[in-house]
Amino acid sequence: MKKIPIIIFLFTLLATIAIISSCQSTSPLAEAKSGAQLWGENCLRCHNAPSPESFSDAEWDVAVMHMRVRANLTEPEAVKIADFLKTAN
Amino acid sequence: MKNKYFILFLTLMFTFSIQKANAQEVQSTDEIQKLKQEIEQLKNESDTYKPGKSKFLLRGYAHSGLQITDEEFSFVGGSFNPLFIYKQSDRLLFESEWELELAGGEVKLAVEYANMSYLLSKNLTFRAGKILVPFGIYVPNLHPAWINKFPTGPLGAGHDGIIPSNDIGLELRGGSYLGNLKINYSIYAVNGSQLNDGEEEAEEAGILHHAIFPDNNKGKTIGGRLGFFPFSDSSLEFGISGMYGKVGAKETDMKDVAALHYALDISYVKTLSSMSSVLDMKGQYSGVNVDDANYPFHENPDDLITFDNNSSTWFAQISLRPALVENNFVRRLEFAGRYSTLKTPEGSEWETDQTQVDLGINYWIDWRTLFKVSYRISNSKEDGTTEEPDGHGGAPGNAFFVHWAIGF
Ligand code: HEC
Repeated sequence: MKKIPIIIFLFTLLATIAIISSCQSTSPLAEAKSGAQLWGENCLRCHNAPSPESFSDAEWDVAVMHMRVRANLTEPEAVKIADFLKTAN
Repeated sequence: MKNKYFILFLTLMFTFSIQKANAQEVQSTDEIQKLKQEIEQLKNESDTYKPGKSKFLLRGYAHSGLQITDEEFSFVGGSFNPLFIYKQSDRLLFESEWELELAGGEVKLAVEYANMSYLLSKNLTFRAGKILVPFGIYVPNLHPAWINKFPTGPLGAGHDGIIPSNDIGLELRGGSYLGNLKINYSIYAVNGSQLNDGEEEAEEAGILHHAIFPDNNKGKTIGGRLGFFPFSDSSLEFGISGMYGKVGAKETDMKDVAALHYALDISYVKTLSSMSSVLDMKGQYSGVNVDDANYPFHENPDDLITFDNNSSTWFAQISLRPALVENNFVRRLEFAGRYSTLKTPEGSEWETDQTQVDLGINYWIDWRTLFKVSYRISNSKEDGTTEEPDGHGGAPGNAFFVHWAIGF
């Protein structure tokens, strides 16, 4: 099947990018962003952004971890967003 | 003599004041003791509620509604989807969503997903189990009824659609930065779709069935998705997805038949302060090419037929919510429109070429509870999505819907 080379190429590319970039979890621009800003930019991409008072600190810990995986957030992003939600609730 | 009385008076006063001070001291030590006890009690009480390392959430969503078509005027049961999320440690997460659906007077139970995620590093997560296949954006991100802006899914999606829904396997996923460009990625190996060879249901020959277990062959299906955010505010995302694997059953003529699924998706969500609104645009093009094969002809199973087994589907949707205006009623409204189409192979028994336009107005009660009122204009009398991901059969033809959905 002639589609195979395309798909192999795509996944080699994907794997390479994943490996190369696995060392870079932030960028100068992202570093400068506050938890509130990251929340405002990320948490409305798929659904309405939940306001901090929706949940308790313990619940935010679980929900943000869930969203870190679902939305492919990096650790620094997830930590800043969780800190913001937990101080503003 | 006078002096004597005076000294006696002073001595008495002194003794009296010392006694009083002593009494006060006794009283205040009592109070401190009491306070200490209260603090201890409160501490014990709060310790009872102090979460341990392992935490969990029981959430999910439910929905149902009213569906009006030429032939039917019916409340539809919708579904109740409990979601269990366990954060076992800072690295280990388990998630599982079930779907309890009312279908024709019976309750159907399905496990939408059940998987474990282990955070390997700051930007790589390993997942194992039954997952929502990271193919495009509709299935993994948009299908829950409180997220989907429409009462039904777009054409082509759903358990019998051409877009893969859920599957069992392993996945590596994450997000990171290439310079200032944010990207996210996912690669996975799953059982994959299964080809209907038409031996039992000739009219379904050539259809791919998703989410059936166990696998019909030993070959695993591999796939992935790569997403880019060209703008630094993450408002725009482009995604490209691919999935390839054998779909034919082992030890049959179809054992080497493979299928390639591919998709392009786009998402743009931006708060427009000039319009006091949030603009949300999403779209996905998906296609599938299945290798040629000979299938039994339904009128005479001894005759074989073949066709170019290629299908495609796409949708584009836009919604505007004036979330930042003063008026409390207007702020809760949302205007939404969606176009979707589905094309299945010419010459197959399940050939179709459908389009649908859905126009709707939503009213949000909170961030994940809403009423949806929508009208569907369809070019077809057939039902492209017999079993919608939202859990209710889509009505063929034009239809009017009033639905509600709650996320909790
Ligand atoms: C990539 C899309 C996406 C992004 C971005 C996203 N979410 Fe979600 N979110 C979802 C989906 C999908 C669900 C529903 C999960 C389900 O029912 O399967 C959800 C559910 C939730 C829930 C309900 C409880 C739960 O964990 O399911 C909360 C709370 C939540 N999101 C918060 C957030 C926050 C906070 C952010 C920002 C960090 C965020 N979301 C960003 C897709 C997203």
